[in-house]
Amino acid sequence: MAYSDKVLDHYNNPRNVGSLDKKDPDVGTGLVGAPECGDVMKLQIKVNPDTGIIEDAKFKTFGCGSAIASSSLATEMLKGRTVDEALQIKNTEIVNELSLPPVKIHCSVLAEDAIKAAISDYKAKAGVDAGAAQTA
Amino acid sequence: MEHEHNCWQCGSADAGSLFCRYCNSLQAPTPDYYHFFGLPRTLSLDATLLQDRFYSMSRLLHPDRYTRRSDQEKRYSLEASSILNDAYRILRDPIRRAEYVLKEAGYEIGEQRSKDVPPELLEEVFELNMALDELRLGDTDVLPQLDEMRHKFLAMLSEIDGQLEQLFRRHDTVPTDEDRSRVLEQIRSLLHRRRYIQNLVAEVDRQLTSRNA
Repeated sequence: MAYSDKVLDHYNNPRNVGSLDKKDPDVGTGLVGAPECGDVMKLQIKVNPDTGIIEDAKFKTFGCGSAIASSSLATEMLKGRTVDEALQIKNTEIVNELSLPPVKIHCSVLAEDAIKAAISDYKAKAGVDAGAAQTA
Repeated sequence: MEHEHNCWQCGSADAGSLFCRYCNSLQAPTPDYYHFFGLPRTLSLDATLLQDRFYSMSRLLHPDRYTRRSDQEKRYSLEASSILNDAYRILRDPIRRAEYVLKEAGYEIGEQRSKDVPPELLEEVFELNMALDELRLGDTDVLPQLDEMRHKFLAMLSEIDGQLEQLFRRHDTVPTDEDRSRVLEQIRSLLHRRRYIQNLVAEVDRQLTSRNA
């Protein structure tokens, strides 16, 4: 199966690879995994506590090209959004943007889970009621 | 356990499994491994008992014994011998046995869910992948760390095996089907975690040997 050009682009030039200080109270960390393929995805956001806007996002993913591309795209989508806007991101947006085939949809689900987990962690740290933001 | 049918040879009802209790002719073998061995569907199994049955049934069902019998019995003895070998291979291994019972009870084994992997384990997996990455880049400083992780994963595996043993006993003794389903669900989740960890260990071993090769 061939990867789409967009997947290849993100795979070859992943955006925002790296990590943020986990102990920073403004940083939320989401770590999720898909046991069936062994993928692990770590996604972190840094939120401006005054505005609620995500100012930085980093990821590190061990997995297939689609998983790396999904998380790379996710970090791009996160930057500049408020935490609540970020919660609205659906895996289908990632699927569409990357033209993921059906067998790779779980990679986008994993990325959505990672976003929710990171936000949930941030909210827990910030003492906000996590509410609908549940870790997967 | 019920496996009621009429004997193909003498036509008696309630012929019994394996051999007809009236005319002693070999019957069509049941494909259910527990029924086949005449054992209750328990997850804890006495290995010696199973082995004894396997040997005695191997003798009784061996195709050599049926060379002068009817074609029907010849065919049944071949079928039964093949089921016997499969059944023994599966039932004597606790993990495969549990997978078999789950599958027969309608559980999907292949489909794993994220929640089968606890967060602490994910941390370990992430660290492991980081270390393996560094090793691939030629950093041998991570070798002791990898070795330590490998041991940790092996310890997790034996812990899981202990938990499985307890769950097996509970499965065999719970009073209701509902309770049993709950236990089976827990077993399913543990089996997935077990396989996941096993794959991790295999991956570490693969990387370490390919480095030495």
